[in-house]
Amino acid sequence: MLLDVADLNVTVGLPAGRVAVLRDISFTVEPGRILGLVGESGAGKSMIGRVVAGLLPPAFRATARRFSFHGQELLDLSPTRKRALLGDRIAFIPQEPLSALNPVRTVGSQFEEHLARLGVPRGQRRARTAQALGEVRLARPERLLDLYPFQLSGGMCQRVLIAMAFSSDPALVVADEPTTALDVTTQAHIVSLIRKLQEAHNTGVLFITHDLRLAAHLCDEILVLYAGDAVERGPAKAVFGEPRHPYTRALKQATPSLTGPRRRLEALPDVMPGIEALGAMPGCRFASRCPIADPQCARAFAPLAEVGENHWVRGTRLCTSGATGTVSREALPRVQPQAADGTVLRLDRVAKIYGGRRSLWRKRFPVTAVQGASFSIASGEAVGVVGESGCGKSTLARLIMGLEAPSSGSIELGGIDMTLPSPFWRRRIQLAQMIFQDPASALNPRRRVGNLVTQSLETKGRTAGHVERRQRALALLRDTGLPEGLLPRFPAQLSGGQRQRVNIARALCAEPRLLIADEIVSGLDVSVQAQILNLLQRLRREHGVALVFISHDLSVVRYLCERVLVMHDGKIVETGPTEEVFSAPTHPYTRALLAAVPPDDIARPWPSDRDRETIS
Amino acid sequence: MIGPGATLRRCLGEPRVQAGGALMIVLLLVAVFAPILAPHDPGDQDLLRTLAPPVWTFGGDWSYPLGTDSLGRDVLSRLIFGARVAMRVALFAALGAAALGSALALIAGYYGGWADWIIGRAVDVWMSFPPVILSLILMVGFGAGLNNVIVAIIIVDWTRFCRVVRSEVMTVTKRDYIPAARLAGFTHMQVILKEIVPAVTPLLLTLVSIEMGIAVVVEAILSFVGLSVEPDVAAWGVMIADARQSMYEAPWSLVAPVFAIFVSVLAANLLGDGLRRSVDPRLAQRLVVVR
Repeated sequence: MLLDVADLNVTVGLPAGRVAVLRDISFTVEPGRILGLVGESGAGKSMIGRVVAGLLPPAFRATARRFSFHGQELLDLSPTRKRALLGDRIAFIPQEPLSALNPVRTVGSQFEEHLARLGVPRGQRRARTAQALGEVRLARPERLLDLYPFQLSGGMCQRVLIAMAFSSDPALVVADEPTTALDVTTQAHIVSLIRKLQEAHNTGVLFITHDLRLAAHLCDEILVLYAGDAVERGPAKAVFGEPRHPYTRALKQATPSLTGPRRRLEALPDVMPGIEALGAMPGCRFASRCPIADPQCARAFAPLAEVGENHWVRGTRLCTSGATGTVSREALPRVQPQAADGTVLRLDRVAKIYGGRRSLWRKRFPVTAVQGASFSIASGEAVGVVGESGCGKSTLARLIMGLEAPSSGSIELGGIDMTLPSPFWRRRIQLAQMIFQDPASALNPRRRVGNLVTQSLETKGRTAGHVERRQRALALLRDTGLPEGLLPRFPAQLSGGQRQRVNIARALCAEPRLLIADEIVSGLDVSVQAQILNLLQRLRREHGVALVFISHDLSVVRYLCERVLVMHDGKIVETGPTEEVFSAPTHPYTRALLAAVPPDDIARPWPSDRDRETIS
Repeated sequence: MIGPGATLRRCLGEPRVQAGGALMIVLLLVAVFAPILAPHDPGDQDLLRTLAPPVWTFGGDWSYPLGTDSLGRDVLSRLIFGARVAMRVALFAALGAAALGSALALIAGYYGGWADWIIGRAVDVWMSFPPVILSLILMVGFGAGLNNVIVAIIIVDWTRFCRVVRSEVMTVTKRDYIPAARLAGFTHMQVILKEIVPAVTPLLLTLVSIEMGIAVVVEAILSFVGLSVEPDVAAWGVMIADARQSMYEAPWSLVAPVFAIFVSVLAANLLGDGLRRSVDPRLAQRLVVVR
């Protein structure tokens, strides 16, 4: 047995007393096997990785009945012995490849430093580095050695880090969300790479991720975490195929799928409790959100029960039997675009080219962000824009909104030519509103919620009275499913999902006919994402507002939008009804995008072996 | 717990702010109530008792607690009236420099482009002049007088504000709530006044407080060389200049104004440092955990 953990507890000292952040976590990793640690942010999955690395933040303390690596107790190991182990026998793959590499040193020198630590003689380092980089299918590795990390893409940096991790032929690799910061197609490459290397070296892998579907495809075993508790553990196929614990089931049901009938997502109420709240939760920490909880749940900490072969669930008999209160198979109602009202938005050969003018000393080369974009949106219609980072989808959103002026082409909003931002600005912001990606940045931290959502009433000529603003704010909070009590709060006092709702409420204040949503769910956890997606569905139904929904997540677009535009390198390469495009893609790029998404059917091999080419 | 109210509470809880603020308030009160507090008129000469020692030394006398100078004027009264000059310069010069500097910084940071280029180069050129020499030249041109001192300090020191505030404005302008405010129908002016100015105010307060200390020193330098206030006005710099000739016989008339300058600069710096600590998120690491 490679890594054997029994009853791991991590506690933190808070002003109110010691709180258990991880409770009685047990798992094992065998050589050549992958264990997936799955959970939403704050579930404690990265904490386990930190315990392995011995990198707990101050005031956190770990205890365990057993925490052995090859029979050595990791928690009792002296710092010197532990240092010898880490990076050599136990290697790490970080989440942010770009920030894990030193930007002022070349890839080669950092790699060789790592090899020097492993005791590789000076003469062999360069050759070993080139060989390791070749192993992760980076083309012409010799040339890469003299490049700096910022000259490489995120995917290439992650390959370098993976090559580094495997260069010592480690027994255990801890990968903490190694693909979260990367695009879908890159994610597929990285995942297949990790699997290939892990099989070749017979390495055990601890794969930390928030994506249950990805874990089901990659891992042999899955451990699902919720607020520091291991709620379910078992073979990947069993946990994903027949999840028992209400939380695992909810997690699965909250993820929109790419195939099959479109069903209403079952969104859990509320959010996961934060560390401060954990102290007052002696029993099941999921109880307050659980559809089948009884009063006893919140009081007693249930033991793990074996429900199938090596499949363990923590909970009451109701949990282990796999029953949920309501099994929703509710089909998603189609929102009918009101074609009678005509088009809201029409773009004609819109292009945006940045730079390109000669400055005093050097010639700047122009960058084409958007090129020849022509499409129109009917009133009440939802159109998805998909593509990878840098494909120009955010620029497109800013052009439509008028935050930037196109270099050529024309934009028509509500029948008026609004190519240039300025002349009809007031009319424009009445017709169209934008929901920004990151609510933490889009909400002024100095304004209260009530003030934020009615910000558009504050402007010149419309100095609304206090009473009117308050009433409008209350109506908007009700519309977006927020409690009235939030009115006097500041954004920093809200959860991520609540902030995104406030963000949406503000865009709705002027009652626009078109909403432009730029990646508004990508920063949210799955269960909160489901809440926001359902909210958007409801708002479309009730307000008849058209939606431009920009996302890199194809399944989310499928859930929300009737029509989809696929963007690649600033060009719209494919467009059509969502179902048609996704079931019978014609453009090779669309096909590549679709193939990169882990399918819901875990029997289908993923990633497909087509991704064998090297990248340069 | 969170929000603007919390920042204010955190500021007031910071010991540096408490100490610096208390000293500053005392200095301001002394300046305001100088005619009531001072035992003598600062210009009154007692030619029979020149260079009198302070009370606690041999030959001291309660009628001149800090002694007298070479012309028989009461050092304490001159010190108290000197605070009027110092505090007026500190307050108005710092606020004026802040207003000019941050107005230009807002334009440069918000609009960017050529406006930013021009203002940025102007700051570069300005900062390459030695500040003391520049203010001396200005005073020679303007002539003596308290208001001219204030104007000179503003003209010399606005760049300090412009540089720092500009970069802060640029950081704030990159946040999504700025385009969001535009989409709510705010004009550029409204965006600047309602979204950006509140965001840079904490920084501005810090800078003003530090600038107050600098203004006190600059005024002292100018009055020391006789280019600041009219000769009949009591100022700390003038006191130092007057005490030079008799500093071996009566060191107290030199030490007293130096100490007053020291206290006011210390107060300003403590206040500024404390404010910076409590409003800068990188320094205001509130650890919730206990070890």
